[in-house]
Amino acid sequence: MPAITLQNFSYAYNHPKKVLDNITLSIETGSFSVILGPSGAGKTTLCLAVAGAVPHYFGGSSAGKVYVTGIHTKESSMQQLSLTVGTVLQDYETQLVTMTVEEEVAFSLENMGIAPQEITHRVEEVLDKVGLTGYEKQAVTDLSGGQKQRLVLASVLATNPKILVLDEPTSALDPEGTHSLYKLLSDLNKEHGITILVVEHDIATVLPYADQFILLENGQLIFNGTPEKVLSYMAAKQIFTEAIPPLWQLKLMIEELTARQFASWHTEEEAIAQLSKVLEEEADKNA
Amino acid sequence: MQKIAPITKLALTIFVTIWSIVLQSLPALTALIVCQLILLAIAKVGSSVYKGIASLFAFAAILAGMQYAINSDLLLAAITASKMIAMTLVFFILLATTRMQDLSAALVLQCHIPYEYAFMLTAALRFIPDFLAESKAIQEAQACRGYSPQGNVLQRFFSYMAVIKPLVLKAVTKSETMALSLELRGFGSRKTRSFKNNVTLALQDYAMLLSMILLTSYLVMQIY
Repeated sequence: MPAITLQNFSYAYNHPKKVLDNITLSIETGSFSVILGPSGAGKTTLCLAVAGAVPHYFGGSSAGKVYVTGIHTKESSMQQLSLTVGTVLQDYETQLVTMTVEEEVAFSLENMGIAPQEITHRVEEVLDKVGLTGYEKQAVTDLSGGQKQRLVLASVLATNPKILVLDEPTSALDPEGTHSLYKLLSDLNKEHGITILVVEHDIATVLPYADQFILLENGQLIFNGTPEKVLSYMAAKQIFTEAIPPLWQLKLMIEELTARQFASWHTEEEAIAQLSKVLEEEADKNA
Repeated sequence: MQKIAPITKLALTIFVTIWSIVLQSLPALTALIVCQLILLAIAKVGSSVYKGIASLFAFAAILAGMQYAINSDLLLAAITASKMIAMTLVFFILLATTRMQDLSAALVLQCHIPYEYAFMLTAALRFIPDFLAESKAIQEAQACRGYSPQGNVLQRFFSYMAVIKPLVLKAVTKSETMALSLELRGFGSRKTRSFKNNVTLALQDYAMLLSMILLTSYLVMQIY
């Protein structure tokens, strides 16, 4: 069963201006999916629809259906959905509402009415998961941007969600923090089977981890599939080309010039390995 | 002091306020202030608390000076300033030695205040540093665009609107995001929520409460 299914889903904050227009999409359980698209494409709204905030919190007009682990979001409540979907908003600092690290993680569990002993145990467990062990008593305001992001993640992971939705989680992080966060998300995805849905502008940073790209433009689903297919489609149709990573621009250019097909280039190392192999083959041929 | 239950410290705050109002002699008020300073010393609070207390003393001295200038009564000015210090110091004790989550838990579990209201207290304190940082960032941004408050107090006040307006708008946006994030974290979804920390009263709390009641009764009997 897919973790998330959208069936002809349309949404408008203010009728009749549609922010999402007839989206039909399926996200498999345990996948690492990335929503791409220019500003105003409807990426955040799609995340909020999965979390149930659209339409429960924002109102507006909607058509079609959104299913999260088989639950019809419109017929459920945000609180019920929060047990399945953990959401990290773009402005993650505002999501931190308590004074210390430990209290922040405990907050979500206290909301659920979980027993104090169990809370203590889960706080320890989840802080270990995100690499914040030893920071329990630290004031939230004293943490770095990357640590705050990890804390938000810990606070949503504490409730054991099956799906994690993150809206531009690295927008305020440095390259090191970005890499570290995606490594963590990848571990959560692979080791704990958590379905990840993330909005990201910098495709290069998510390429090593993602297995599905979802391309939106003007509220419509333009293309959806493996990163290779979506990037090739973007290049072929000249859609949102500025977001195509330089590595892939190079790959597509070489492919066009040489009529040779390369396997996916998720990292620079993969690209170097494949190019070296090709050059060796060419050298052997010439010899 | 950290081992005392939050509800006992809340009671202490109320009782000290009552004592500060009831007591009219300068030595008694001084004794009350000294006792509170001893409590703070025992609690081993951070240096930032003492900086705040120093500012409180400076502010009280200014108020006393103003009152003396109006009334020419030095004793009355000293008593008024002492009352203000005694009343405010107890809040320093409460806030410096109590975790906000414990205070919220005490308000909900023991005072039966709805959690939403108790949470407001925690959230407000949590966002003060963010608010100050935001204010500084806006002032710097406006300074880059030529903002430089000059002139008399009124002119400075109006020019400060260039900082206040974006600050308020940002605060509103943040509060909206916070409300959404709280909903997404299941805030208020259950009628019964749990609290990680234990805030029940221990023997020392009962002893403190009894002592405070007895002392207050004695002071009231002395008056009437």
